[in-house]
Amino acid sequence: MMHFKALILLSFALFSASTFASEETYQFETDAQSALFFELTKELRCPMCQNQNIADSDAMIAADLRRKVYQLVNEGQSREEIIDYMKQRYGDFVYYQPPVNATTIWLWLLPLIFVFIGIVLVIRSRQQKPVTQDNAKLEAADKLLEEDK
Amino acid sequence: MRKISFFVLPLILFVGLAIFLFQGLFSDPREHESTLLNKPVPSFVLPDLMNTDLTYTTEVFVGKVTLLNVWGVWCVTCAVEIPFLEQLKNEGKHIVGLYYDQDIDPDFGIKTVERVQQEVEQKLGQLGNPYAYNIFDVKRDLSLDLGVTGAPETFLIDKQGKVRLHHIGDINPRVWQNKFASVYQELIAE
Repeated sequence: MMHFKALILLSFALFSASTFASEETYQFETDAQSALFFELTKELRCPMCQNQNIADSDAMIAADLRRKVYQLVNEGQSREEIIDYMKQRYGDFVYYQPPVNATTIWLWLLPLIFVFIGIVLVIRSRQQKPVTQDNAKLEAADKLLEEDK
Repeated sequence: MRKISFFVLPLILFVGLAIFLFQGLFSDPREHESTLLNKPVPSFVLPDLMNTDLTYTTEVFVGKVTLLNVWGVWCVTCAVEIPFLEQLKNEGKHIVGLYYDQDIDPDFGIKTVERVQQEVEQKLGQLGNPYAYNIFDVKRDLSLDLGVTGAPETFLIDKQGKVRLHHIGDINPRVWQNKFASVYQELIAE
């Protein structure tokens, strides 16, 4: 039984090793460069398959962009320089964090406006004028109650 | 007054949201403004696909209005679009191919150029040849500089060698009429 379990574990280990081998392998001189590469490939968006980053996507363009990021990282370019390089070619679209400008400002303003409107509405509903007593009506009601007795 | 605002406000919000979402049904998410618009084609030095001794640079675009069509024999939509491009060529339009191969991976060995040439000759023999010549984007560097996301894509380049239009997807009579025709006429007249 023990042997059987060991065999299963071993087969999993072999399987994962083989899937790694089929992926592109990039060698980096420093750990910082390697970290930057993995960070950037997660934050850059694939222009072809839009809901994936370039690390996830199998599209050829994603592979080309990964290779380009690798090349630029190895040339010693900084994070911002590489993002700018990609934006120059594929537009703001290629980076998941949109820049703040006249069109995109609403992404931040709209939620704030909604919260503000909500607060105003709550405050106004709290400040309802107290109901003024209408003595004539009260008397009428009292009379009705009397009659019911 | 209170009642009106109670009913009208949500209605306005709902109608606004409905219009916004309805538009989304007809917008192409792959459509986004090219960053190269009204800028010169990025510099390159690349060989002719059929005669690799011949090299091209951005100079080739100066002096005439060019349609630069990104394609490859492996691309299904390109095969659909080529007959229409040939029709455009027969009307006197100058069409240049930017060819890139899927199987040539710069990192892992290279498919021979002869093989690629054979495939291209065969394909264009079947479909007709709209191209004045093909620029061979060996490592897909020019495609990347142009912001190409896949094939087919087409750039309309003016007489100064500047990109005036970038179309993602195939060109068909409808796309030509709606998107290209008027700009093309303007550029010819310039």
